[in-house]
Formats: sequence, structure tokens, C-alpha cells
Amino acid sequence: MVAEGAGKKVLVVEDDRDAAEAVQIVLEGEGYSVSRAESAGEGLQKARSERPDVILLDIMMPSGTEGFHFVWSLRKEEEERVRSIPIVVLTAIHEKTWVKLYPDQSDPVYEPGEYLPVQGFLDKPASSEQLLSKVKEVLEAGSAAAQGGA
Amino acid sequence: MDLEELRDRISWLIRLRWAAIAGVLVTIWVAQRLLGVELHTGPLLLVVGALAADNLVFWGIGRWVAAAATGAGVSYFANLQIALDLLALTALIHFSGGIENPFLCYYVFHIVIASILLSRAATYLQVTLAIALLTAMTSLEAAGVLRHYHLGGFIPAEFFQSRVYMFGVLFAIGTMLYFTAFMATSITSRLRRREGEIVRLSEALRKHTEDLTQAYEALRYLEGVRSDYLHRVAHHIRSPLATVERMLAVVAEGRTGQLPERALEILERARVRIREMLALARDLLVLSRTREAPPLAQREKVDLVTVVQEVAQEFRRQAASASISLLTECPEFPVEVMGDPGSLKELVENLVSNAVKYTPDGGDVRIAVELRANRAELAVSDTGIGIPEDEREEIFGEFYRAASARETGKEGTGLGLSIVKAIVEAFGGELSVESAVGKGTCFRVDLPCDVQ
Repeated sequence: MVAEGAGKKVLVVEDDRDAAEAVQIVLEGEGYSVSRAESAGEGLQKARSERPDVILLDIMMPSGTEGFHFVWSLRKEEEERVRSIPIVVLTAIHEKTWVKLYPDQSDPVYEPGEYLPVQGFLDKPASSEQLLSKVKEVLEAGSAAAQGGA
Repeated sequence: MDLEELRDRISWLIRLRWAAIAGVLVTIWVAQRLLGVELHTGPLLLVVGALAADNLVFWGIGRWVAAAATGAGVSYFANLQIALDLLALTALIHFSGGIENPFLCYYVFHIVIASILLSRAATYLQVTLAIALLTAMTSLEAAGVLRHYHLGGFIPAEFFQSRVYMFGVLFAIGTMLYFTAFMATSITSRLRRREGEIVRLSEALRKHTEDLTQAYEALRYLEGVRSDYLHRVAHHIRSPLATVERMLAVVAEGRTGQLPERALEILERARVRIREMLALARDLLVLSRTREAPPLAQREKVDLVTVVQEVAQEFRRQAASASISLLTECPEFPVEVMGDPGSLKELVENLVSNAVKYTPDGGDVRIAVELRANRAELAVSDTGIGIPEDEREEIFGEFYRAASARETGKEGTGLGLSIVKAIVEAFGGELSVESAVGKGTCFRVDLPCDVQ
């Protein structure tokens, strides 16, 4: 049997190394290849160079709004292939309501809109099963959309 | 009376004077042409002309006074105008019969105007001036010093020299003027006092409102700081706990290699404790958010039926593992309430979680939604352990867990029902509980669903 994640690349953007490593172990156990970034800047750089199939993002990185900044910056990338990488946001429960509202609207990359343009949310701490099924779901939705569009 | 108002009334007086001038001209015409009274129109028209000329001057000066003069200046200006008016009236009456002229009583208007415009003392001075002018005119006419202009065809010619008549008329008019001044100034000073009180009161009220607004702003600011602080603290506690939990999970799930049975068992107990702390930090955060005023959560239409079905789906596996049948009874149509979807879900989750947790294996949990007039009713009932009567109030208190709940050995923060209560209050609803020990419990939530 081929592992679920075979050949798929996941970028984990998370400032907490331990948390990132735990996620990495779970994903690699299912055959995904995982790379990690500890800041929004590093994340953007790796998104460009490595072209992951999905990005797992911890929204509350050190500055508090760095995660939001990452999302909007990625969605403004020049290259379509990078711009459209699906993002799953890891949040603490009950932050979902305010994730809707971009907290720092003076950020130059911000564009008004009701929701953050991401493909999924995962409440922290998510179990290994929840993590895997969310990643799988987003990847399947992405490839279905790609096929539909082709 | 403030300066602004005095200026206002002076310009009113100037307008009134134009009307009076027109009135005098009409009266002269009517008396002469229609009533056939013999009038000496020449001097009368001269007086009217003089009056018109000084009104023009007053009008011009008035504009300058309004722009430049101080309170005392404006007040002198008003006194001067009234004195000149009295002089003009006396002249008009002198040239039209003196004491024979029934328009003598028109002095009253000047006194009323004076009591509106001037201070009480100035008003009495003007009354005295009026009486002095009148007395001087009649006496000098009677003594033959001033010419008497008889009103031919009106009353007998010798009348103006009758001492008794003169005294009677002067006395009657004099007292009338003083009484008028007395009454009019009393009324106006009372009105002015009231006005002053109202101004003071509204000033005090404005100040008071300002103070209250400031206090409210300060409170809101503090509440914001407090809530922000709590949010940060809770986050800083939750983050490392969540990481620890994930790391333990990875090990316990055997993703880093097999562990001995005993190690797994201890690891599992550590995970339980971590989960308890995570739940506690989470519940504290939820409770604080729910109680924030004004609520941070946006109000929108939320369908209670959809929320109930989602929650039931979440708990289906947990219920099945204890052979508990989880039933939902919902209408076919949406039941919309106004609020924040996250909070509504939190509310239903807490009630269903309790019901499933405290119902022995093989029991029933029923979630029912009903629409009644303008209310949405949610009932979560179980066949669980029940809540003794003496604990039915206390279970809504923070960190309170019923003795029977603690005895089950199930995890719980003691905050779930506090959260439920806070959310129901934020939605403007009502919460009630019925229970029988050993038989089951039913929580009822009544939410308003009028969508404007």
C-alpha cells in the first residue's frame, strides 16, 4: 500500500519548534515530505522555492499578526502556482471569530474582505487524525478544483 | 438677561417703533377724515418725522452697538431709546389736545417695554419720567405757559383747565403706570430667575453627562485592557500545553517507535492531566470573552437547527461508544436567532457534552428544538445521574461541580455551565433546569428569535 501522503509536500510555518516537530513526525509517518519555516519571511521564501502542495500555518506567530501578514502576502505572489497554495490555519479555539477580521488593517498587504482567504482551520491541539484528515481534505479539494479548472 | 438677548430685544423694539409710527399716521388720518376731529397735523407730523429720524439713527447705531458695545453700553442705549420714546409720546399728546386726548393711556406700553428691557430700578425711573413729563405738560398748558392745542369737535374746550379733572387723570394714569411697572417687572424678574435656573441646571446636567461619559470610557478602556491581558495569558498558557500534548501524542501513538506497556500507561495519564489544563485555559478564555461588554462577537442570524445537527454529529461517536442513543428532534425549517455562531455552538456543545458525560451506558440523550411564537426553545435532556435539588442553583457557579458529577471520575473544569449561563444571557435568553436524581436532567434554553 502506498502511503497517503506519498509525493506530497507540506510546509509547516510555525515558530514553536517542538510543535512543528510533532506535526512533522505525524505527517512524515504518512509519507508526506515536510519542510519547516519559523517566520512569515522564511515561510514565503520556502513557498516560492519549494512549491509545497499545502501550507500549515500557526496564525499567532511572535508579532501576533505575522500569520495574517503571511496569508495576504502569499495571496499577492506573482506566480499563480505559489499564490494559490492552499493554507490550513492552526488556531486556538474561539479565535475563529476574530480571524475573520484582519487585526492590523494598516498593513500594506491587507485587502478588505470578510474572511481570511484560507482553505481550512484546525483547532489546537488537533489530534493526529484530525491533522491528517484536514490536510487530506484540503489537498483533495485542491486537486478537484485544479481538474475542474483544466 | 444676557447681552445677546438684550441686543435681540433692542432690535425688536426698533421694529416695533416702525409699527408705532405707522399706527400714529393711520390714527391721525382716521381722527381727522373719518371722525372729523380738528387736529393740528403740522406739528404732529413734525414729531412723527423726528421719531422716524431717530429710529433710523437707532437702527444704524444699533448695528454698531451690537458689534462693539459692552453690557453697560447696550443698557444705556436701551434706556435712552425709551426716554426718547416717552418724550415723543408726550409731544404727540401735547399737539393733539394734551389731557383731552384718550391716548394718554398709551404710556402703559412704554412701561411694559421698559420692564422687559431694563432693570427694575431703571423701569421705575422711566415711570417717574413719564409722570413728570405728563404733569409738566398738563400744568404748563393749564397755566398758559405752553400753548394748548384743543381737539375741536371732541370734548368741551375748557376741560383742560379743570383742576379736579387734571388731578384725577394724572393720578389715575400715574398709579396705573406704577402698578404696571410693578407687575410687569415682577413677572419678568421671576421669568429671568427661572431662565437663570434652567441655564444653571442644563449646565450642571451637561457637566454631569460629561463626567459619566468619561467614567464610562475609562471603564471600557480598563475592561479592554483586562480582557486583552487575560487573552494573552490564556494564550501563553495554552500554547506550550498544546505543544506538550502534541509531543506526548506523537510518542504515545507509537510514531517514534514502540514503548513498554507501563510507559504508555503513564504517558496516557500525563496526557489526561494536560488535556484538563488545556480545557481549563480554554474555558476561562471562553467565559471571559462571553462576558465582555459590549460583546466582541458580531451579531448575525444563526440557524439553531444547523448548529444542533453539527453538535450532534460531533458527539455521535462518543455517545455510540457508551451505547447512548443520541436523538435530535428539530423542525424541518431553520430556527434563526440573533447572535454569534461560535457562542451558540459553544452553548449547545456544553449542554450535550454534559448530558453524554453524565449518562450511564445504554441511556438516552435527546436534543430538541422548537419554535414558539417569537422564541426558540432548545431542550437537552438525558437519562443520567440527575442533580440534587439543593445543588441546582450552584451548578451555574464557576468551578462548581456537583458531588455526584465528581464521583463519576469524569474530567470537567466546573466552568461549562457558567459558560452556558453567560452565553444565554448574552443572547438575551432564559435558562432553566429540571432534574430527578438517578432519572435524568433536562436543560431548557429559551432564546428570542425576532430578527428585527
